[in-house]
Amino acid sequence: MPGSFKYGVSTYSYVDDYGSVMTLEDAFDHIADTGATGIEILGEGQIEGFPNPSSQFLDRWFGLLDKYKLEPTNMCSWVDMRITLQRNLTIEEGAAELERDLRLAHQLGFKFLRPKFGVLSHDLMPEPQWEAYTERNLELAHELGVVICPEIHAPTPIKHEVVDGYINFIERTGTKNFGLMIDTGIFQDRPLTHWGSHQINEEARKHMEFLNGIKVPPEHFLDVAQYVVFIQAKFHDIDENLEDQNIPWKPVISAIKRSGYSGYLSSEYEGWRAPWRSIDQVRRQHALLRKLEREFDEGKFA
Amino acid sequence: MLEHQLIQSTGFRNFGPVGAREGFAIRIRIPNYHGTRLSQLDGFDVTVDGVYYDHEINRFGIRDEVYTMAEMREETTARWGLAEWGEILVDKPGGLEPGVHKIEVLARIRYSYFPPDVHIFPMHAERYGTICIA
Repeated sequence: MPGSFKYGVSTYSYVDDYGSVMTLEDAFDHIADTGATGIEILGEGQIEGFPNPSSQFLDRWFGLLDKYKLEPTNMCSWVDMRITLQRNLTIEEGAAELERDLRLAHQLGFKFLRPKFGVLSHDLMPEPQWEAYTERNLELAHELGVVICPEIHAPTPIKHEVVDGYINFIERTGTKNFGLMIDTGIFQDRPLTHWGSHQINEEARKHMEFLNGIKVPPEHFLDVAQYVVFIQAKFHDIDENLEDQNIPWKPVISAIKRSGYSGYLSSEYEGWRAPWRSIDQVRRQHALLRKLEREFDEGKFA
Repeated sequence: MLEHQLIQSTGFRNFGPVGAREGFAIRIRIPNYHGTRLSQLDGFDVTVDGVYYDHEINRFGIRDEVYTMAEMREETTARWGLAEWGEILVDKPGGLEPGVHKIEVLARIRYSYFPPDVHIFPMHAERYGTICIA
């Protein structure tokens, strides 16, 4: 039997609530109470004083991890490629951004770092410098025990040159400190009604067709599973019958289970940002995913 | 803590000497899900009671600093944290009358990970706000 999943929650789930109706400790409480064992954060979000947190913040961070029995999973970061309107980062500056975030992730106990690279196109081709500034940091990532994992996110499907580029990089360098993060939004097969705090109108739909779902066949996960190190369990709306309105979880969980993946499923709620809505949406997702994993293990579906 | 919505109730005020107000301020939380360098913001268009004030002219205040649009575009060190507020400073001799006003803000946030032609992403918010003191 394949291994079991680990369950986590990203604080991204609580955007807008966080800092207005939710403190850092509230977020820990909500996450731990789902039964999750891992917390994922937005580096320049939950880390007060980013990129140089105070010792008081660090004490608080480790105190909360201990109190709520959570382990740090992934830290999200950004490489500000278009640093100003006038110019882009050099490779040296890109390397420095990544180094800063690797060291910070390690300092806080994270094992994964998800950098967002700058992109050049609507199918999210990364700017070509990513490879050079990432390669310069592979040795450091190895020393720190952190895996760098760019995310495969809609509108980019699995069978795409963006993914091929990352896999070629892994094969060429032989590194164990770079892998793929899969955002389950790529499996979305029905249209969204809300994106963040906004109801989606026809105008937005026209410009951002991916809001209707790019419908990656879940079976494609198996083709890249050996390179996948982390999964952000993106979702938008789960009703009171535990029916997800956008993500077809049953075939998705089936494919992930059959691949043998035993890492984190880290909840990323990205639905309607009404105050407090996210908290119970995350709980519903955990109930749903745990139920599906149990049923798969019991042979109720394959 | 901040209010949930982008445009905050508190902080909507006139600035400049009483009797010779220079303009008004709108307090907002960061129009993004994470903190950023100030250079990742490309200003704020403001419309109050139907009157438009352009992002190239409006200034931005955070902590004890005020930035013009040109300064903010080049500010790659100072950052705006997720839990901090900033304020848009709009020149308007005389300020706004005390009372309720319709406020619209179009925040122009830059994402390096969005395609180049749409990398300045508009985030729109509107609400009523109240000026307490003339």
